[in-house]
Amino acid sequence: MRNNKFMPLILLLPFIFVTALIIMAAAVVIMQSLGWIPAFGLTELSLQYYAEILTDSDFLSSLSVSLRVSIISTVISAVLGVAICAAIVAGGKGKFPFIVRFPILVPHAVVAVFAINILSQTGHIARAAYALGLIADYSQFTPLLYTESFLGVIVAYVWKEAPFVAFFVYALMVSISSSLGEAAQNLGASPLRSFFAVTLPLSMPAIANASFIIFVFAFAGYELPMLLGSTLPKALPITAFLEFTSPDLLNRPYAMATNGVLLMFAVFAAVLYLISIQYAVKRTGGKNE
Amino acid sequence: MNKKAFYVPVLTITFIAIIVPVLLMVLWSFVQRWPWPLLLPEDYSMRTIRELLFGSANAFHLIVSSVSLSMTVALLGTVIGTLTARASEFYTFRGKSLIRFASLLPLIVPGTVLAMGLQIVFIRLHLTDTVAGVILIHLVSSLPYCITIMTDATRALGPQLEEQAIILGANSFKAFWLASFPNMIPAFLASLNMGFIISYSQYFTTLIIGGGRVKTIAMVLFPYIQSGDRPLMSAYSSFFIFSGLFVFMILELLIKKLSKETISNETEC
Repeated sequence: MRNNKFMPLILLLPFIFVTALIIMAAAVVIMQSLGWIPAFGLTELSLQYYAEILTDSDFLSSLSVSLRVSIISTVISAVLGVAICAAIVAGGKGKFPFIVRFPILVPHAVVAVFAINILSQTGHIARAAYALGLIADYSQFTPLLYTESFLGVIVAYVWKEAPFVAFFVYALMVSISSSLGEAAQNLGASPLRSFFAVTLPLSMPAIANASFIIFVFAFAGYELPMLLGSTLPKALPITAFLEFTSPDLLNRPYAMATNGVLLMFAVFAAVLYLISIQYAVKRTGGKNE
Repeated sequence: MNKKAFYVPVLTITFIAIIVPVLLMVLWSFVQRWPWPLLLPEDYSMRTIRELLFGSANAFHLIVSSVSLSMTVALLGTVIGTLTARASEFYTFRGKSLIRFASLLPLIVPGTVLAMGLQIVFIRLHLTDTVAGVILIHLVSSLPYCITIMTDATRALGPQLEEQAIILGANSFKAFWLASFPNMIPAFLASLNMGFIISYSQYFTTLIIGGGRVKTIAMVLFPYIQSGDRPLMSAYSSFFIFSGLFVFMILELLIKKLSKETISNETEC
């Protein structure tokens, strides 16, 4: 360790600049959400905009849609991702297959194209169902896209995020499985028991971290709900965008209050993540840090 | 339980679920007519390829500008990631633990907050509707990954090699350049790769900061998806994915090649 006062500061200058930008962005959003926009002649701080949106039924249904989509897709992605990761570890090739990394490289807009080709009422699944005689016409195929259920959005997120979870967890899981997992099996545990009693709990920090990242992504994501979601209710990022770009400048505080709510839930998820990490570390005797 | 009975079906289903949408997208790119309920296209054409090459948005021009924008982001992210990693790994100073937290901020702050907040900040700095502004916001999104990769690599290598070089009379930049840099090339490439992919995939941040003036492939693709023309959106998507994949693969091959060289150098020593 070198002890030089100025060198670290010099090295950190660009990083501090970028961090300052992020803090300024968040500060501007919060100030405008509280009604402080001198350029538009708004100079009175108040919680009025939050109070208004939080009692607005359209806003509340948007919030519930965003929460539902992000929570369901995160849980499914985490479970499938861990299963895929466990399968790769059990396969024992010693390398993460490129095919499973592939969805991480695919932009959300392109995942939407996949969903439109495959899940729409005239898509490939509907065609296969018709060929198998399960439906007589495409109108009988349950719509998955542009509906209030947001099922298409959820499927699209899972397609992209489950491999991300698998990739994110792989390094930790492979090292635990080959050391402590093997030890448990040598002591007579079945592979299944060794996985659920040793490998899975010790992999929890990475699983929780990956889940947190994909939750915030899905909760604040614009592309997939925009391209595959219903017109009403809209996901929160879309209402925020529409109000932000509205020609009526007095809509600006509402856009920013919507962003403020998004930010609060993301911070809440971050706190939950930190608590879960501490709990996992305590429960497993702190060996997995 | 037999391990094979678990991993073979899970991996098979995963592979199929990942590959089939990609194959269908490529097939759709060449479709002239594919009416319900046919399982295979009725008629093929090169309409989408013509549109791609000679249409309103020139694909070649688009790819050059998109790739160079994202490569710039990746390079900046990797350089900043390296500097930050060196500060936090090789020096002791007050407030060091804050760095790790701050480097993860872009993962906590939602993308909409970041984009709309920065748009207002950037108006003052005259960075809205400019390529520089778009590069800057892409950089913000890529940095957590670049910093993580470079921090891991810096920690793994340790300061010893450079310290020896300094003892032998090198200044600290020379010590880094001659002792650490050659050993960190695989990490640099991995960080470049991650930065490139994050930037290449951005849509919302480009839309807000670029204001529609800065055209990337994602910006051009979006309206085609909204138009519902499946062959055309599939063709643009194929073009989008495979151009990104091409850059990604080149970097991956370089990583493999250079990792092997580094290892064989070490064994020779």
